[in-house]
Amino acid sequence: MEYVYGIIIIVGLYVVLATSFNLIIGYGGLVSIAHPVFFALGAYTSAVLSRDFGVPVLLAMFAGMVVAVVASVALTLPTLRVSGDYLLIASIGFQLGLLEVIKNLRFTGGPGGFTNIPPFLIRDFGRESYVILVLAVTIAVVLLVRLIARSDYGRAMSAMRDDEQAFASVGRDAMWMKIVIFGLGSGIAGFAGALYAHYYRFITPEQFEILQSAAILTMVVVGGVRTTWGPVVGALLLQALPQALTFLHLPPSVLGPIQGLLFTGLVLVFMFVRPQGLVPAENVWRDRTPRSRTGEGG
Amino acid sequence: MLQVHNLIAGYGPLTALNDVSLSLQAGARLGVFGHNGAGKTTLLRCIMGAVRPVSGRVEVDSNDTCAATVADNVRRGIAFVPQGHNVFPNLSVEQNLRIAGLLFDPSFVSQVYELFPVLSERRQQRAGSMSGGEQQMLALGMALMTRPKWLLLDEPSTGLAPVIVRNVMRRLVDINERMGVGLIVVEQNVPATLKVVQQVVILRSGQVAFAGSAAELAGNTDLWKWF
Repeated sequence: MEYVYGIIIIVGLYVVLATSFNLIIGYGGLVSIAHPVFFALGAYTSAVLSRDFGVPVLLAMFAGMVVAVVASVALTLPTLRVSGDYLLIASIGFQLGLLEVIKNLRFTGGPGGFTNIPPFLIRDFGRESYVILVLAVTIAVVLLVRLIARSDYGRAMSAMRDDEQAFASVGRDAMWMKIVIFGLGSGIAGFAGALYAHYYRFITPEQFEILQSAAILTMVVVGGVRTTWGPVVGALLLQALPQALTFLHLPPSVLGPIQGLLFTGLVLVFMFVRPQGLVPAENVWRDRTPRSRTGEGG
Repeated sequence: MLQVHNLIAGYGPLTALNDVSLSLQAGARLGVFGHNGAGKTTLLRCIMGAVRPVSGRVEVDSNDTCAATVADNVRRGIAFVPQGHNVFPNLSVEQNLRIAGLLFDPSFVSQVYELFPVLSERRQQRAGSMSGGEQQMLALGMALMTRPKWLLLDEPSTGLAPVIVRNVMRRLVDINERMGVGLIVVEQNVPATLKVVQQVVILRSGQVAFAGSAAELAGNTDLWKWF
């Protein structure tokens, strides 16, 4: 049962990561690959605060989220003033640089990793309680992003993505909106990182490297960008498939390359056959009630 | 009231505006003419807060608009229709108008449809698939959704057929007369604009070369060499 719980938790956390990344790259149109580094910041902050400073775990988790938000603002403030490409370049540098910093600090455990992270809930209430917590967070995040996308704010995001200059000329501040979107997405990733750290109780910088960026991006692209369920489907598929492969009882030397081929093949197939992903993008304007306002359907 | 006081602005070492001053009563209609590079668009961008001046200030109802952001100035009642980039091409007409009115009064859309019946007929059409003239009408409608006191337009006739230009210009007069919105129109099409505006300013190398009434300029073709 522990194995199943482990799968549910890791799938749940990847759904959170893919959904929050979809908010940034899909709904916000902000091209960044640094999502795993905010996941790492949440994990390391929560782990260090709770183990070395005696901060209660729940409080440390929220601190991890706050640190991820602050770091995201530090990344976006100087880069978003210019153009989207600079954010992508800066995000690569930010991810590589910050992971190098983590590898070279003593209090983070360096390249060997950070161990003996205090558990949360499991000792008192059993492993099931953590599964329930992760599932609750997953559902809350999916619904939150869906709510944002379908709100007036979400519609404003889609307009900003369309044309920033026109967006400013109707009284909206594109820069501020981008910072909010990036901060929210990164904060959610930070909280997911904290949940990860207190379940597995051991984190290393390798777990948050650029391959993670590729994995999360693939989940969003394969599932469907700018959709509620796309990242959920993508995360489920890309986490479930490798797990299913393990039942083939292949030697690790064969299993690893097969997984790599599978991911690469999936991305290629989707690029050519179904670039919109498994779930087509939804119309964020659909639920509005313009009839009463304008006398005609919207 | 909109007042520009001794405005000096530029881009790096280039001075685009050099000691420009002007004063407009609420609801006035001003045309700004001049050669390419005379500083017309920079003047609009300074009023909107998109370009920070080196010195001088622009006051609208005692607020310094140069010190504020574009978004703040729009919320204070200054609408800007830039040349191109003025609609969201992937959204429908109705979605464009609703986005523009989100921070203001969305129900005002009915008055916009009344002023521009073509928008009402095409409310479900994707903005990017409409003709240039229709997109310009939509841009004007979006600007009106922000309930402006002043409407700044940067070459609204660019790329439009003469008959469409006349239509756009007529709408500008309607907007001014029905809603009391002041107009500042930067244009290359001087004859068409002179039928709309009451006051004119000619900019030459960033300085005011002429300021007077539209009738004065229409009657003095010697001045036309400056644009």
